Amino acid sequence: MVIRILILQMLLLAGSVFAGHDDLLIERVNAKFSYAWSALDKTIRAYHYKPAYLQRCDFALNERHYKSDKYRILFFGKYDEMKKMSKKYPEIVPFFPLRMTVMEEGTHTLVIATPPMTLLPLVKTNEDRMTIFRWQEDIKSILKQVKSQYQQ
Amino acid sequence: MKIKLILILALLPLLSLAGGREIYSEFCENCHGFSRQGSLGLPLYSSTIANHSDRYLQRTIKSGRPGRIMPGFNLSDAQVAKLIRFLRAGIKAPKYDTTPIKGNIEAGQHTYEKYCQRCHGVNLEGGQGTGKNFSWQKDAEVSPPALANQGFLYSAEDQMIKHVIVNGVKDTEMVSFVKVFNFNEQAVDDLVGFIRSHEKPFDHEHVIKKIDEPMSFIYTSPYKLEQTVNKLRESAAAYNFRVYPNRALLQGLGEFQVGDEKQVVVRFCNFRNMQEFLKLDPRLGVILPCRATVIEDEQGKVSVVLENYKHAVARFNNEQMSQSSSVGDLIEKMQEMVEEALW
Repeated sequence: MVIRILILQMLLLAGSVFAGHDDLLIERVNAKFSYAWSALDKTIRAYHYKPAYLQRCDFALNERHYKSDKYRILFFGKYDEMKKMSKKYPEIVPFFPLRMTVMEEGTHTLVIATPPMTLLPLVKTNEDRMTIFRWQEDIKSILKQVKSQYQQ
Repeated sequence: MKIKLILILALLPLLSLAGGREIYSEFCENCHGFSRQGSLGLPLYSSTIANHSDRYLQRTIKSGRPGRIMPGFNLSDAQVAKLIRFLRAGIKAPKYDTTPIKGNIEAGQHTYEKYCQRCHGVNLEGGQGTGKNFSWQKDAEVSPPALANQGFLYSAEDQMIKHVIVNGVKDTEMVSFVKVFNFNEQAVDDLVGFIRSHEKPFDHEHVIKKIDEPMSFIYTSPYKLEQTVNKLRESAAAYNFRVYPNRALLQGLGEFQVGDEKQVVVRFCNFRNMQEFLKLDPRLGVILPCRATVIEDEQGKVSVVLENYKHAVARFNNEQMSQSSSVGDLIEKMQEMVEEALW
């Protein structure tokens, strides 16, 4: 137990070293939207998360001077963990499932996610804190992996 | 031995350059682009960098631009030096005298209002939106910098500001005011004095503004779950939101289990608001679409939970978003909408 707490504290401290550019998790992928989207979907599954659904937010963007209407939000997560947490902490439900924004920018694609660590104030046990920390690390790895598939 | 030493010395700059590229790739390219062409952040063309001293770049990298997306980075001096060397790509760094320029602030203000505020804003707050977003066709190709930003004023030397006014910035809409508008030296000095008069003591630490409010709002519903959902949908439509079909909170994540039907998400969106906010910050998607989650606990108590978007918006480090009355209005509108549904 003591070791778990120590590990958690060390991990949290490690996270805080990078405070300043971790307010949002962003990766630029050197690929057109459709390729990045497909890579993201596969990588999320490879990390044992399940994409739940896709929300298109591209209503009339082209007509309103946007160069691209490729703007989508992917909701994903792990059923058991989210079921357990949403029952325990009602305050956390607006943040479930986790989400990533995927937007086309010329020949690149930007993938943006809110760091799950922002949910830490909403949970009370070390076990739940560890789960959130793992989500954070997984999302970072997923983004890096998608980016690395199209590295310049 | 001598040959080895010469080889090492000859290769050293190359090694440093590689370090700079990696640092750029890790910390900068997500916002400034693979080729430094700009995106969420401003373009970092060599021609632009050529106007900036090492001191300016060091301070900008470490302290950022509070409220203008660019965060401050906790990089070591050596890492910053490598990054700057990479950005310069061999172009010599200018050196500016740090002695303040004395100008007539009132005259500078007059000049500013006549020539500069159209792009840089009435309160020197800069152009609307982020650096140079390829997705959004903006009025200006590159968003004009916020001259009253304390990160900018802390970083910029008066002589650098003067240099930019006199020479303009290549590849941007900033023209030479000497060539185009025949500014004389006094007019430039007055303008610099006016811009500098906006400087305040600067807090070097990049800190996200703490929001002294809960992360989510919980409302108790006097109605049963299904009634609450229906009332919320009606209320959202009455508040000019387009309402999407309902979803169970965890729908799609696994096999539908008993109890899942007691967590329902009502999703809605006001497209006008959305497009207005997207202009200010394309990262908005991390909070889209607007949602109200209706949950019923084991005792049968029904609640509606809303995210408090102020927390998410604070993380954008974009004061145009956080100070936008529309964001505050939207949050209030959603709260009113729920209160009305539960009346």
